Amino acid sequence: MLTVENLRKSYQVGKTSYEVLKGVSLNVKKGEFVAVMGPSGSGKTTLLNCISCYISADSGSIRLGGTELAQLGEDALAEVRNKKLGFVFQDFLLLDGLTVRQNILLPSIIGGVMTDLVESRADQLCDVFGISAIRDKYPAEISGGEKQRTAVARALINHPLLILADEPTGNLDSKSTRAVIASFQQAQTALEATIFMVTHDSFAASFCDRVVIIRDGVVWRALEKGTEEREKFQDHLLDATREMGRESPFS
Amino acid sequence: MRHFSQIYALLRRKNRKQYALLAGCCSISVLLVTAYVSMMRAPTILSVLPEGGDSRKQVMMVFVLALIGCAVFTTYASGLFFRQKSRETGIFLALGASRAQVRSELFRELAVISIVSCAVGALLGTPLAWVLWQVFRAFVVDTDEMALTFNPQAYLLALMFSFFVIGMMFFLGNRSVKRTNILDIVQESHKSEPIRDVPRWYGVVGIALLILGGLLGYSVPNFCILVLHWYAPEGLTAVFYLPALAGLYMILLHTIVNGWGGRRRKYKDLISTSMMKFQGRQTVRNMLVMTLLIAGAYFASFYSPMLGTGAMLRYDARPIDYAYHFRNDQDIPQEDDVRALAEAHGVAITSYAQAPMLRLAIDGTASVEEDGPLGTTWHTEYQEVLSSSLFLSASGYEALTGETITLAPNEVKGIIDAENGNGYIFDEHVGVVTNYLTGKRLEVDAGEPLYTQDILFGLYVMNDDDFTVMSEGLPDEWLETQVCFNVEHCESSYDFAKALFYEIVDRSGPEVEAFDSWDPVIRDFQIEQNGFYVFDREHCADYGFTPIDYAQRDSSAFRMYWQYMPQFRVLDKADFIKTTAVFLVLFIFIAVICFAAVIVIAYTRSMTIALTNQQVYDDLRHLGAPNAYLYGSVRSQVKRVFFTPALVGTLLIYAFYCMIMYFNGDPPGITISEAAGLAASFMIIVCISAFLYIVYRLTLSQVCKQLAVRRPNV
Repeated sequence: MLTVENLRKSYQVGKTSYEVLKGVSLNVKKGEFVAVMGPSGSGKTTLLNCISCYISADSGSIRLGGTELAQLGEDALAEVRNKKLGFVFQDFLLLDGLTVRQNILLPSIIGGVMTDLVESRADQLCDVFGISAIRDKYPAEISGGEKQRTAVARALINHPLLILADEPTGNLDSKSTRAVIASFQQAQTALEATIFMVTHDSFAASFCDRVVIIRDGVVWRALEKGTEEREKFQDHLLDATREMGRESPFS
Repeated sequence: MRHFSQIYALLRRKNRKQYALLAGCCSISVLLVTAYVSMMRAPTILSVLPEGGDSRKQVMMVFVLALIGCAVFTTYASGLFFRQKSRETGIFLALGASRAQVRSELFRELAVISIVSCAVGALLGTPLAWVLWQVFRAFVVDTDEMALTFNPQAYLLALMFSFFVIGMMFFLGNRSVKRTNILDIVQESHKSEPIRDVPRWYGVVGIALLILGGLLGYSVPNFCILVLHWYAPEGLTAVFYLPALAGLYMILLHTIVNGWGGRRRKYKDLISTSMMKFQGRQTVRNMLVMTLLIAGAYFASFYSPMLGTGAMLRYDARPIDYAYHFRNDQDIPQEDDVRALAEAHGVAITSYAQAPMLRLAIDGTASVEEDGPLGTTWHTEYQEVLSSSLFLSASGYEALTGETITLAPNEVKGIIDAENGNGYIFDEHVGVVTNYLTGKRLEVDAGEPLYTQDILFGLYVMNDDDFTVMSEGLPDEWLETQVCFNVEHCESSYDFAKALFYEIVDRSGPEVEAFDSWDPVIRDFQIEQNGFYVFDREHCADYGFTPIDYAQRDSSAFRMYWQYMPQFRVLDKADFIKTTAVFLVLFIFIAVICFAAVIVIAYTRSMTIALTNQQVYDDLRHLGAPNAYLYGSVRSQVKRVFFTPALVGTLLIYAFYCMIMYFNGDPPGITISEAAGLAASFMIIVCISAFLYIVYRLTLSQVCKQLAVRRPNV
């Protein structure tokens, strides 16, 4: 589904160049729920922004469903963002002037593919994520958890190949975090969605099938959950994080 | 809802206040510019602002400032609109909308907003000018010359400004969509501009530069003319004002970055100062524009009170109620006619005096101009027959003023104004007097000048015997009569004054239908040199002077510039507003435009603070900052946006005006009428400051609302 190979990206600050991604390679299979973890400045958000086509990489390759993203022009990239990717942001990024239902429909309206079928799919998504009762409310009238579930429903409306989530639980309390993770799991099981999530939160990551840990712009380790209990997997994640801390040049 | 345009329509409805603000700003700017241009290009106004004259230059100068103000506030309002809109644009792009798709929807909106708002402004501009003018005519003053007609050419400039507004909106809109990095757009409203550290000495040095620039800018042109004998190009002398501009920038920078509270307030104002600091250059640039606009607005506002208060005091200070002079070849009403007319109007004349005057040539130094590679230079040349002037005999002076003076043979005294001295236009040091027709020459000694209040200014007085000798051979057109009289209850004699004025005008012949600078001696000289005389009727207008026309006897040009204009206290006082009405309305208009621009800029800047710092205020709230603290911090920032330019701009222009007034006279100093004018101007400052304070309070409450900060109960 998603293949990233030897991805490099640097930022120019004044006359100094900072290399943030130093050759990242990873794979995400169809139907997989993958998390990327790492300390601040490790490059995980930059990796997500490259995959989201928000910024271009300096070198390397990103293939999504067999399409090489680096070779696409601006309009084609917009189409990829609209049709093949779904987005969930830390700040939700819902439009305050639209209702929950209208926000969910937004990608289809932008893509010019609005049909009765899409409208009924929006209603179906509201049901799946437990937001039917608030579908005519405006973002200002609902809780953070409800906003993020709306964002998840919006990300799924166009049947994307991949959902990209940037710290989706970063602004939520523990109850809302559980609800949002549950909605990702529902999307994975009921709707066969593939999810790629960047997070700091080992609790949220422990629900994933696989966790890729990034440090200093390279993949440091990848942990498979397999058949392991979630709590045990979270312990492994915490152990790995501690180990990474010990290996840090500052420790 | 199935189409992208429907999303835009929904969002438009939800954010209608933002759209209304943008459309309102565009409409107002085009409305003000159209109204102003309609008025400025109206033949009615042009007739009192002669081509090339100082008044027209002043009006143009302040108009350019107002135009810049309108352009700036429309640009800022558009900037604020796109900044508010950037979030939704970013979300559209993030969710897969193409830039072309977003641009097309945005342009469709902009086309409607800009064209409709500009059209509304342009269409209402002329009616607004007309209504304001009519209100003024109905409630303040109405004269024949105030019948307003419009020149269709005015719409050309209004159209050009509308094109600018429309073009600017599309340019900014396109730029906001064109931003390449979607993440930047999503986070744009949290972006700030860094500012370098500003040393604390910036404040003091800024003030010093401001004062230095003001003094240099004002004195260098005079220095060039008086000392170097060089008419330096205006562009060059304007450069000397630049230190003032640099000083102003440094003062504002210091105010934003360091504040004036000293180090002990460093921690008290930490949050608000830091927030302002990181809004950076944009805030300082905003403040600079606001300061200049406030200064321009006050410059326009002070014009009428300065002119009016001074004139009223001067009229009151006149020792004589009625004074006029006429050439003896004219059939002008004399004592019997005046008394009969007074009786007919029920006015009692309490004293009456008249005295003969001679028009004699006098010597002096002429300034001769030469064009060279550096521009025009000049040098003085002594001429024994330079110009002409009117001479009274000592007994004639006594008859008119009741003051006995003794003059030795060959002694001549000039009459100068008790308040303004010679006003740089009258040389009391005459050396040779000549009968221009017979060539009879008299070398004279200039004695100590005589002082008068307004009346008789610019005349000379000579010994009675000399007067008789010099008058020999002069025909009636070189002889004049000065009449002075007082009446009982002068204030209630307006009808008589007007009737006598009309009588004098009606009985004056075309040979005295002359501009007040018209001089037969200079005329001969200029015709010999150049083939024509500037102040002859047919050439007046070419050199920026309004030709005198008896048919326009109530016009401001006639009242101000007719050589034989009577000085009737009651008429001058009552008709003052009429004669200066055009200036009054025009300058009020300019002030309105400039203050409107200031208010819009201050409002948009304050709202930008709210938008930019929303996150910071949320963080402060999370850190436990009480509402009173948050309110104090918001108020401190909005206060700086409003008060700093208002304070600096006001002080700047008031100090500049005081400086002009101080150096205006000879010797330098502030006269009573100038002090009264400055006091009246101060009252205007108080009223406008109170109005700006109300706008500040309203803006503060809007910013607080945006940031969800309550005003603490006092």
